[in-house]
Amino acid sequence: MTKLTRRALLGTMGATAAAAALPAMPAFAADRTIRHYWWGNPERDKRTFAVIDTFQKKNVGIAVSGETIGWGDYWTKMATQTAGRNMADLVQMDYRFLFEYVNRGALKPLDEFVGKSLMIADFDKGPLDGGKVDGKLYALNIGSNSQVMVHNTRAFQEAGIDADLINWTWDDFAKACEKITAKSGGKMKGSDDLSLMIETFESWVRQNGREFYSPDGKVTATAGDVTSWWQMWADLRKAGVVRDKNKTVILDPPIAESGIAVGDTAMSHYWSNQLVGIQAVAKDKIGAAMVPHKAGGKPGQFIKPSMFLSLSRDAKDTAAAIAYMNAWVNDPEITGILGLERGIPCSPKIRAALAPKLTEVEKLSVDYFTAIQSKVGPLPVPAPKGAGEVRDAFMRIGTDVVLGKVEVAKAASTFIEDAQAIIERAQ
Amino acid sequence: MKRFFARNAPAYVFLLPWLIGFFLLALGPILASLYLSFTRYDMVSAPRWIGWGNYEYMFTRDRRFWKALEVTFTYVALAVPARLIMALGVAMLLDKGLRTIGLYRAIFYLPSLLGASIAIAILWRQLFAADGVVNQVLAMVGIQGASWITDPDTSLYTLVVLAMWQFGSPMLIFLAGLRGIPRDLYEAAEIDGTPGWRQFTRITLPLLAPVIFFNLVLQTIDSFKTFSSAFIISNGTGAPADSLLFYTVYLFNEAFKFFRMGYASALAWFLLVIIATFTAIAFFTSKYWVHYENERD
Amino acid sequence: MKTSATELELAIQMDEAARVAHQLRLKRDRQDRNGRILKHIFLIIVSCVMLYPLFWLLASSFKPENEIFGSLTLWPSEFQFENYTKGWYALPISFTVFYVNSAIVTGLSVIGNLVSCSFAAYAFARLNFNGRSFFFALMMMTLMIPYHVVLIPQYVQFLNLGWVDTYLPLVVPRFLASDAFFIFLMVQFFRQLPRELDEAAMIDGCSPFKIYWAIILPLSLPAMGTAAIFSLIWVWEDFLAPLIYLNDIKSYTVPLALRLFLDQEGQSAYGQMFAMSVLSLVPVVIFFVLFQKLIVRGIATSGMK
Repeated sequence: MTKLTRRALLGTMGATAAAAALPAMPAFAADRTIRHYWWGNPERDKRTFAVIDTFQKKNVGIAVSGETIGWGDYWTKMATQTAGRNMADLVQMDYRFLFEYVNRGALKPLDEFVGKSLMIADFDKGPLDGGKVDGKLYALNIGSNSQVMVHNTRAFQEAGIDADLINWTWDDFAKACEKITAKSGGKMKGSDDLSLMIETFESWVRQNGREFYSPDGKVTATAGDVTSWWQMWADLRKAGVVRDKNKTVILDPPIAESGIAVGDTAMSHYWSNQLVGIQAVAKDKIGAAMVPHKAGGKPGQFIKPSMFLSLSRDAKDTAAAIAYMNAWVNDPEITGILGLERGIPCSPKIRAALAPKLTEVEKLSVDYFTAIQSKVGPLPVPAPKGAGEVRDAFMRIGTDVVLGKVEVAKAASTFIEDAQAIIERAQ
Repeated sequence: MKRFFARNAPAYVFLLPWLIGFFLLALGPILASLYLSFTRYDMVSAPRWIGWGNYEYMFTRDRRFWKALEVTFTYVALAVPARLIMALGVAMLLDKGLRTIGLYRAIFYLPSLLGASIAIAILWRQLFAADGVVNQVLAMVGIQGASWITDPDTSLYTLVVLAMWQFGSPMLIFLAGLRGIPRDLYEAAEIDGTPGWRQFTRITLPLLAPVIFFNLVLQTIDSFKTFSSAFIISNGTGAPADSLLFYTVYLFNEAFKFFRMGYASALAWFLLVIIATFTAIAFFTSKYWVHYENERD
Repeated sequence: MKTSATELELAIQMDEAARVAHQLRLKRDRQDRNGRILKHIFLIIVSCVMLYPLFWLLASSFKPENEIFGSLTLWPSEFQFENYTKGWYALPISFTVFYVNSAIVTGLSVIGNLVSCSFAAYAFARLNFNGRSFFFALMMMTLMIPYHVVLIPQYVQFLNLGWVDTYLPLVVPRFLASDAFFIFLMVQFFRQLPRELDEAAMIDGCSPFKIYWAIILPLSLPAMGTAAIFSLIWVWEDFLAPLIYLNDIKSYTVPLALRLFLDQEGQSAYGQMFAMSVLSLVPVVIFFVLFQKLIVRGIATSGMK
């Protein structure tokens, strides 16, 4: 049997029949194996597996097993593997979950490798610090993003909106909503109703000069903040310039169901690394605006890491894992494959290398990113354990407000009380 | 001793695969979850014993626990009878004399094939939206429908409709049961001039009783444990406003979203007690209405 | 004459009676036919309601991405056949591999379920032994416990056995009658069969295995067919266990692969996902059509008693 036929056989059989009884074997023998686990989509998976191939070619002797699943199922599997002490060596992390995992001791700090095998000295400090908890680096930023009011450029043009979309205020925003709704005869509303978006609400609180959580993990947002937020949207709903309430109460809908994708509204709230995905489903050309500012208020919006790569507690061959991690953010070939798909890289060198090859939407996100640099506030302190549950409570209680089943002020104080109780119980 | 062996040996040989599976694979995890229900366990650090703490919190301080019970009980009370009546009715229609029965049977089973997929979630949201197909049909007969799926007062009923629409499995089981009823009984009744409904109460119901019993027990257990449809349609949260907060959805979120596996285990064991009570009642009363061929004496 | 008059009257009466009887029969036939037509009309209407979602899924699988959510009309504005052709190869591994994987897992699981569950069911339904109610209650209990809380202990258990990232956790339990649903289903059907059958066979010197194999199983074809169909469908569509136990994408099953299309937070490919969902139904529907014959054939045999 020649080598070629044997390999061909392995290629077709190995994946299927052999896998029935045997543990999945890497494609070729390697002395060291690391596992990389991420949430993805077809596009991201393709790029990531290409990265793995490239890395393996350059590092003979290290095999990388790529494991992927969609966002919705990712965390269930992650929790199970964590409980079984069988986490992948490298796991993709989200800002929302980072602290839950770090605080429980599931991740290893990276500080001892920095400057030795992990070269990140010339990276932007701000985005890099987003992976720090209690002064230790637990997660390597593999892309940054910020909030963005995605808007329909055609609708904006037709309605003659000339506001400065980086510096605009909530008043400008309300006027724009009115104009767009009037221009389209009510067919297209000005904006999605953001009542239930705790991420935007967080900016609102910061514009009022407070943080949502204090450094010692207490809820510092006030019932007044909540009331004013929900009241503003209630007024816009009453004026009929934002999306129908029955669409608003569908929580975390897929991008394809958002107002801007469907064509119900001219604005939706998203994260800047999602622009490519939104343009893929939106009929008109999209643009990027900042979350409106409070006239005379503090900066509310902030730049945060969109995705991290973390070293898990169960990692055995840390040297191989760190080598892979380092290649991810430094190897020009690998970063070229990754592009901006996971967010804006925090290495200026890599950004410069990517710049000439950007698509139109990618350029939009880079330009937006550059424009907001001086307009954003500092990264908020890490959220305490239980923040995820607070988010759910915000949406749950807010639903009754949106549907008009409960008075705004009463719901607001209920939420603050619940949030405090949740945080207290989670500690 | 020898007689004891002779009496039991064949049965235990047949039972062997199940015994191995139960004692080696199933029992351990079940007992482990019972133990965890008395601990605080976040799945990362080791579990910490807290006695009855979880159960105490559940009954005295957890409002959402009671909400989940309410949602689940309402659903069970509506969905189980609705689905069973649907399944039995259609099965009986199909059982008698239609040549195209195979086609219908396949058609009626198709919705159950779609299960609780993401497609169903998207479809259900579109069907029962304010401007959805359901309201368009209602408008034809002059009824102005609500926004069924996003209104906390009506959203649960859309899941009951889903349960009714996916009546395929109990229907198939009923059909298999109806096939087991000897045809000559009906022929004899026909000759005696027994009217149709009496054939139903005198022949069909008693002879189908074991299968009806099976479907009743199983559907009740399944409905108490309803997870996928509610989880997927509410995007995993039980929204709008907890109106789809099924017990298992709550349990899942407590475990995997909020890292309270200990508490979730306590929730699970309480659900087990509820289901076991209902099943025990069903088994106890079955003596009076389910008769088996081989236990007539 | 008188007699002939009476005879005539009688003849007329008989003729009348025959006519009435004939009319009655006609009426009944007509009613029967009307009844059948009514039944068909009713069933066709129900069928449309039942099939609407499938049409919707089919239509969506041909739609361009932004039409799936935006438009309420069923008919796609343009047919995108590439959802199918591209979807098949959209993931790093082609769907051919996922289908083979699913076929292996499902095939083994169905066999395991039918054999092991019918064994257990035969013991519970037809044999007397000490501890029967106790074990039956234990078996029922495994049906009642919410799966999510045993997930983690089970995962740890299979991890210790070294079975994670293989098909063993998905297949082996099925050979050990892990799915109590099927045991209970078969028990209910086995119990319906007349006791005389076993007694007669026992007197003829048949072993319990012979009775199981030659009497109980052949008489329970509708039940076994039903169990086979359910078992195939459920294993084919099973998602949670493959999610937890399979790591390597090369070993993924079809439902797991379908989940790779969606990203709540980013780019999803709904059109391709729907196209692949439609295809994933094909094997199940074929199996259903083939196996439902078994349920029908059951009439002849079980009608025999």
